[in-house]
Amino acid sequence: MNDDEKFFAWIDGELEPAEAAEMQARVAADPKLSRLAEQHRALGAQLKGAFDPVATAPVPDRLHAALKPSAQVIDLVAARRARSMPALAQWAAMAATLAVGIFVGTRVAPGTDAPVQMQGSNLYAAAALNQALDTELASAPTGEVRIGITYRDSAGQICRTFVAPAGSGLACRSGSHWQMKGLFAAPEGQRGDYRMAAGMDPNLVALVDSTISGEALDEAGEKAARDKGWK
Amino acid sequence: MDQSSPFEDQLAALLPRLRRFAHSLSRDPADADDLTQATVERALRSKAQWEPGTRLDSWAYRIMRNLWIDTARARTRKNAREAPEEEGLSVGEDPRPGIEAAVDLHRVMSAMERLPDEQREVVALILVEGFGYREVSEMLGLPIGTVSSRLVRGRTALLAMVGEA
Repeated sequence: MNDDEKFFAWIDGELEPAEAAEMQARVAADPKLSRLAEQHRALGAQLKGAFDPVATAPVPDRLHAALKPSAQVIDLVAARRARSMPALAQWAAMAATLAVGIFVGTRVAPGTDAPVQMQGSNLYAAAALNQALDTELASAPTGEVRIGITYRDSAGQICRTFVAPAGSGLACRSGSHWQMKGLFAAPEGQRGDYRMAAGMDPNLVALVDSTISGEALDEAGEKAARDKGWK
Repeated sequence: MDQSSPFEDQLAALLPRLRRFAHSLSRDPADADDLTQATVERALRSKAQWEPGTRLDSWAYRIMRNLWIDTARARTRKNAREAPEEEGLSVGEDPRPGIEAAVDLHRVMSAMERLPDEQREVVALILVEGFGYREVSEMLGLPIGTVSSRLVRGRTALLAMVGEA
């Protein structure tokens, strides 16, 4: 360390006590060095003073949003682990995976009550989710899955949005099945909360907007569609 | 998935500091927030590479610094093509209230921007972020003597630019 470096290391409190004492004495005895030390301390304070308020200012929403589960890519390890997870966690893992449009090819073991099933290259609702889509009315929720809105898409198929504890999504009728069109993880901290304080997931809103033809069905329309087998 | 939340929570808690570091590296507040966002996204994708029990802050700072270096070449090419930007032309989201504070931040950011990259990062990490020489040497993979000499040159140049306080 040359003298300059030692001088600054002293200012920064990086010297061993003996060296620090020696530098301190040297600076004290030299008005020019004392002045320089003062200037650099002031510069340090000015830098801190200029940048520190950034660290105490509110963080812009977009940065927090970048941390949200729906923006995450679930890694393969987590996806594999999902096989042995309880249903709720499975929801979360699958929802987070699908939200970014990446399905890692994890097959849910048959016979489980996983809410989604893969057939060929398509995903279909299964178990409790399938049941809810088949029978639930938005006005009369009964189970873990709540139906949101029901509408016809531009191809004339019935589509329904739903909310489950770990996420929300959209499924549209395809033959006698419900094909998954979107699945979005609930924000951290909102899982298990049906009320979804912040309203529908914005991704889901966008998906509905881009597929809906005309208006959503009203209560009577929803019931009539169910009675006709969602044709 | 409870086991994943500590990572995201810790990263969220680091956001204010990461933003401050980004501001000391970047040309303007908008660039700084882009850099912060890119860092968060990269950190999430690289989550498996972080060893629990080690310092998340150093790890995240390193990601930010590397992203910034990666974009440095593109930035230099872009600056060379474009006419020099007028002060105040790039209006970012200044995180602080008050005109004086904004002018102060702008002035210090421009001074920092005139430092060579390798001096700027050392000045930012030590004088603004408060890391020790040893920590910075490990973070940047540089000998401690190199850190120390870059710091001397950087702060000497800054003092000349910002003027006597």
